[in-house]
Amino acid sequence: MNTIKNMDEATLHAYVDGQLTPYEAAEVAQWLQNHPDDAQRVLSWRSQRAALQGLHAEMLDEPLPPALLRRLHKPAAPAAANAAQFWRQGLAAACLLAVGLAGGWYGHASWPGGASPPQASGASTPAFVRDAAIAHVLYQPERRHPVEVGADQQEHLVQWLSKRLGQPLRVPDLRADGFALMGGRLLPAGEAQGGGGDHNAARAQFMYESAQGQRLTLYVSVAPAGQGAAPTAFRFAEQGQGAGLTRSFYWVDGALGYALSGPFGQEQLARLGSQVYAQLGAS
Amino acid sequence: MLEETLPHLPRLRRYARLLTGDAARADDLLQDTLERAARKWALWRPELGAAGAADRQGALRAWLLTLMHRHFLTQLRDQRQHLYEEYVDEHAPAHDPQPQWQQRMDLERALAALPAAAREVLLLVCVEELSYEDAARVLELPVGTVMSRLSRARERLRKLMHDEQPAAGATLRVVK
Repeated sequence: MNTIKNMDEATLHAYVDGQLTPYEAAEVAQWLQNHPDDAQRVLSWRSQRAALQGLHAEMLDEPLPPALLRRLHKPAAPAAANAAQFWRQGLAAACLLAVGLAGGWYGHASWPGGASPPQASGASTPAFVRDAAIAHVLYQPERRHPVEVGADQQEHLVQWLSKRLGQPLRVPDLRADGFALMGGRLLPAGEAQGGGGDHNAARAQFMYESAQGQRLTLYVSVAPAGQGAAPTAFRFAEQGQGAGLTRSFYWVDGALGYALSGPFGQEQLARLGSQVYAQLGAS
Repeated sequence: MLEETLPHLPRLRRYARLLTGDAARADDLLQDTLERAARKWALWRPELGAAGAADRQGALRAWLLTLMHRHFLTQLRDQRQHLYEEYVDEHAPAHDPQPQWQQRMDLERALAALPAAAREVLLLVCVEELSYEDAARVLELPVGTVMSRLSRARERLRKLMHDEQPAAGATLRVVK
């Protein structure tokens, strides 16, 4: 059985995927004994495969949603794709809005890609604040999935986001100010450029809601190495107008930039901001 | 038709969930797929071998997967959804130990970050455990393409997971 002289990658994949005859598989197993690099690859593919199989495995035992079964019993309903259509249009609108916002802010971005730091007199709005406004507008109207991880998972959420951002995070408690935490999400930098890409530049968004349904988001972004020591400065930025106005209150504290965004007056936003700042600083 | 498809639905639903990365969109996709299946049911003629009934079930599953794949592609074209593959998890059980929970979140995000074509191949082969030939039939591609996509998808997913490690010296990037 020790006869194989070389091994192609396709055979290794087929081995992992159980697509070889028992005889072939035994040959590969033999080969792997003597080729630790290949064995390592096979092991990592195998554990990847097992992890994928574990994703949402609970759905296999879940009862089917009644809505789905009802549809099945009376097929070819003309209104079939309405729900999907609605969702689709919503997404498309969000994309357009994000692009519009990004366009609108273009030219404002100066920190950290450009020269002037945000606290300089007359400085333009830093990039992370613009991103915060986009993220607010994008997720704030979301009824079905406003957050990636809900507040009931708060402890997990904070640890996970801290790990991803490479900075210990804290979530301010704003209940005394009438805002309950809904949850949060991890956002890659450069939303408008789609998935993948630069995972190092992640930011986090926490979402709060008042009893009246008004939503407030706290956006946290990690400053690049070497630019983290900028002194704290509180500033306002505005985007949009009328009902679409998004106002942000932002500051930089050590390595982290914070932006608190929502459709609120300067006074209220500043009050919430100082509340957040006080809680985050009380470490 | 209903009775015959019923046993396949939980798996199809999970497949749609992993494909779309979203519970609501997954159910929409499954529903649309089933409506198509209902319309085309009368035309469906499986090529059956000697195995008879078992073959028929396998063929039915492959056919439903093919319909779902086609519909998924149409949706991608219509919506340019790949720009916005938002990930949402509604099923995170609260009792999960932290490391597993994190790992699963990372894996789902990495999966969502793959190109749709890579995700399809990976899910069909790894999760649905189709043979390369069956996956090729579902995706309406040559087997060689399926295998090269699979190889690239695995490597990409591994890299994405690796890159998700703590961001030392994290950097901001200006979005244009």
